[in-house]
Amino acid sequence: MEKEKPKLNLAVYWGAACGGCCVSVLDVHEKLFDVVANANLVFWPIALDTKYSDVEAMPDGFIDVTLYNGAIRNSENEHIAKLLRQKTKVMVAYGSCAHLGGIPGLANFHTGKEIFERVYVSSESTVNKEKIYPQTSYKIPEGELTLPEFYNDVRTLGQVVDVDYYLPGCPPQTERLLEVFMAIVKKEELPPNGSVIGATDKGQCDECPRKRSDNKKIKQFKRPVEVIDDGETCFLEQGLICMGPATRCGCGYRCIEGNSPCRGCYGPPPGSPDPGSKMMSAIGTMVGSDDPEEIAKIVEQIEDPAGTFYRFSLPAAILRRKLIETTVS
Amino acid sequence: MEEIRIGVYICWCGSNIAQLIDVKFIAGEIKKLENVIISRDYKYMCSDPGQETLIADIKQNKLNRIVVAACSPRIHEPTFRKALEKAGLNPYMFQMANIREQDSWVHIDKEYATLKAVALVKAAVSRVKHHEPLNKKSVEVNSATMVIGGGITGLTSALEIAQAGKQVYLIEKSDSLGGITAKIDLTYPDLKSAGQMIRPKISQVQNHNLIEVFLNTILEDISGYVGNFSTKVRRNGTSEEITFGNIIVATGLKPFSPVTIPEYKYKVLPDVITSIELEKMLQDGTVKTSDGSKPDNIAIIHCVGSRNEQYHPYCSRTCCSTALKYANQLRSLLPDAHLFDIYADMRAYGKGCEEFYTNTSNKNIMFLMYDQKNGLPEIRKANSSDNAGMIITFSEKLSGENIEVPVDLVILMTAVEAHEDAKEVARLTGISLCGNDFYIEKHPKLDPVATTTDGVYIAGTCQGPKGIDESIVQAKAAAAKVLSMIAMGSIEIEVAVSHVNEEVCCGCQTCIMVCPYKAISFDEEKNVSVVNEALCKGCGTCGSTCPTGAIKSLHFTDIQILSQIEGLLKTESETI
Repeated sequence: MEKEKPKLNLAVYWGAACGGCCVSVLDVHEKLFDVVANANLVFWPIALDTKYSDVEAMPDGFIDVTLYNGAIRNSENEHIAKLLRQKTKVMVAYGSCAHLGGIPGLANFHTGKEIFERVYVSSESTVNKEKIYPQTSYKIPEGELTLPEFYNDVRTLGQVVDVDYYLPGCPPQTERLLEVFMAIVKKEELPPNGSVIGATDKGQCDECPRKRSDNKKIKQFKRPVEVIDDGETCFLEQGLICMGPATRCGCGYRCIEGNSPCRGCYGPPPGSPDPGSKMMSAIGTMVGSDDPEEIAKIVEQIEDPAGTFYRFSLPAAILRRKLIETTVS
Repeated sequence: MEEIRIGVYICWCGSNIAQLIDVKFIAGEIKKLENVIISRDYKYMCSDPGQETLIADIKQNKLNRIVVAACSPRIHEPTFRKALEKAGLNPYMFQMANIREQDSWVHIDKEYATLKAVALVKAAVSRVKHHEPLNKKSVEVNSATMVIGGGITGLTSALEIAQAGKQVYLIEKSDSLGGITAKIDLTYPDLKSAGQMIRPKISQVQNHNLIEVFLNTILEDISGYVGNFSTKVRRNGTSEEITFGNIIVATGLKPFSPVTIPEYKYKVLPDVITSIELEKMLQDGTVKTSDGSKPDNIAIIHCVGSRNEQYHPYCSRTCCSTALKYANQLRSLLPDAHLFDIYADMRAYGKGCEEFYTNTSNKNIMFLMYDQKNGLPEIRKANSSDNAGMIITFSEKLSGENIEVPVDLVILMTAVEAHEDAKEVARLTGISLCGNDFYIEKHPKLDPVATTTDGVYIAGTCQGPKGIDESIVQAKAAAAKVLSMIAMGSIEIEVAVSHVNEEVCCGCQTCIMVCPYKAISFDEEKNVSVVNEALCKGCGTCGSTCPTGAIKSLHFTDIQILSQIEGLLKTESETI
């Protein structure tokens, strides 16, 4: 019998995530056979029925590569992140949520209490006159039922455990995943730990196919639905908020090629610790007026500025979250 | 990486700091911090022994970062940077914590002032760890100078510089030299001919082989930086380029038009005239009413548009003494006329002017006082029964009575104001305007003719209303500044400038339009922005605007500022 070369042990896990990252792994299509030829999938809840106890039973360092997608929103996300870290040689923060907090991270504009109040009491489709909230523990005759604790803060994976590589994107570009995976398989020289991989240091404008000038004077901010795009002018010059200048390349211009402005999922280039404020500063210079009242009116046209400028990056940004008011005794 | 070894010095500033702040406590607290090798307090860090201690410590203890907690860096940062250089350290490996202006001078609680000082010093220590050495750069100075404005100030500056053997380009937007001085008859308080003073200066300027005069000329654009400016000037429809190393802005001011003051009926009643219109009559030698007759009753009204929130809040400074000059001239021309000087406050300031007022008040002139708070004097056409053309009604302050003054001619001592194009000249030259559109000097007392743009100086009334004597003082001061710059031959330029990381810059060009110094251009080939370091003043606007984080403002990098904030806030949570 032909001696098989040793396979890598691969795990894919989701924290606070939409599931898109897990599905994106399948976007490798027929290349999945290359992956399977080189790896045992030891843990992948979306596709395999592996139990937590199976992971706990693995020796430390048993898993070669974990692709952890999703942010850390509750105690279960944190527990599994720490468990997988212990069992894994190369921990990859896979996708925007694990990298920067992602869309779930926008919940940091509210407190945990506000979110529960909205979801379980005040939402239009809810009737909960007794104001019953989920509890982390509930005793019934048969024993104790538990739920994970819902935290105030959404955190990135890197804020909870040591991360070896960050693979950005919502979801990451599949080709980049394959490149990284094959590099690990072939034991090629890998970048230093803590690096962002599968992306470049340049902003999106670098190779953006659209025409741009140094004279952006925006009189009206619009939503994509309000513009008949000419298909070739810089989105910002058409009054559309494009996060391109504040966002790394690597995605292959998927949105821009589809005539949609960049949403910022690849996160900021290195040395830019707060992409939201960076982009707001830049946008501020593009407002086409010198009159304070007119400027205020123009800026008011930006729908949901916090959610727009920090769409994927809030927990990782300096801003991090809404201020929690505390009373000092 | 070399080990970080920080020396921290807490200055007492005599008792300025030490009487409110426990300097020994701070020195002790700071000593506990990581990387702090030496932490001392001393009575006067800026003194020679203070600096020598610092230098000796650097040498003996191999210190590579220094923090001095003392006064404002505006005062002594250059002092300590020089001391670092003497000790062989790069001067930028230094950070100052201001515990005087920002602490001991503005607080009264000793305990909290001390805690605040600890926080400020911790912030400086935290920041200085991230400092990087920056190297000095120098550029050669073009020895030509552009003087903008051909009034008495511009003429004086131009002559001073040309007489020292240096080229001057004198730019004047009108068709003649001399400015407002050429439009007045006599000067105060000496009552000498202004024409006899300015005409020889004009011909000297016109005949000087090192002064090129540009009349009917406007500036289209100025680019460059101290020592190396160039401009496009347009005259007679053609554009030409000149290059020079320094600029003196001497654009002067203009009289305010009193048509907007309803009480005075200027342009409604023909015998209400402005001071500059009277000057014309005086130059011609006859003072007449609009119908050509000799006026028997003449009133001079002060503060027309000055010291009044509705028009101009400031004092126009020269009008009181000018009014006294008119009183003298009118008394000589019309010995029998009744002269009324209606003033709000008599501000005959300056050498010889109070004496001038005293002399004038002995010349049978009726001085009457009004108060702008109680309304302005009101001028109306007289009835046929009145023995004069017009009547001025107002509340006389000293007598407390409402009085009527019959007059045939009224002279309005109009305010002076900035030119309409002052803003444009400010934009072209990179200087700033105060709320009244006069130019702002670099320091009102210590550097009154320099501006915040190196190589650009202001002189005369474009900086604020002033007399001929004061304008000439500034004209000569500005010329001296320019000549000393030329004498140096080369100058050191700001090194804490912006730097573009070409690996990160994506060419979005957001930085280009925000740069107030036109220091950034776009490299089409590399698809990146490029900073001209000689033009950059290190203001940081591009750095905070850059959406990619590709622009670093040297000496004000994100990591330096963030670690400073971190140092500041850590203290708060630990000690309060």
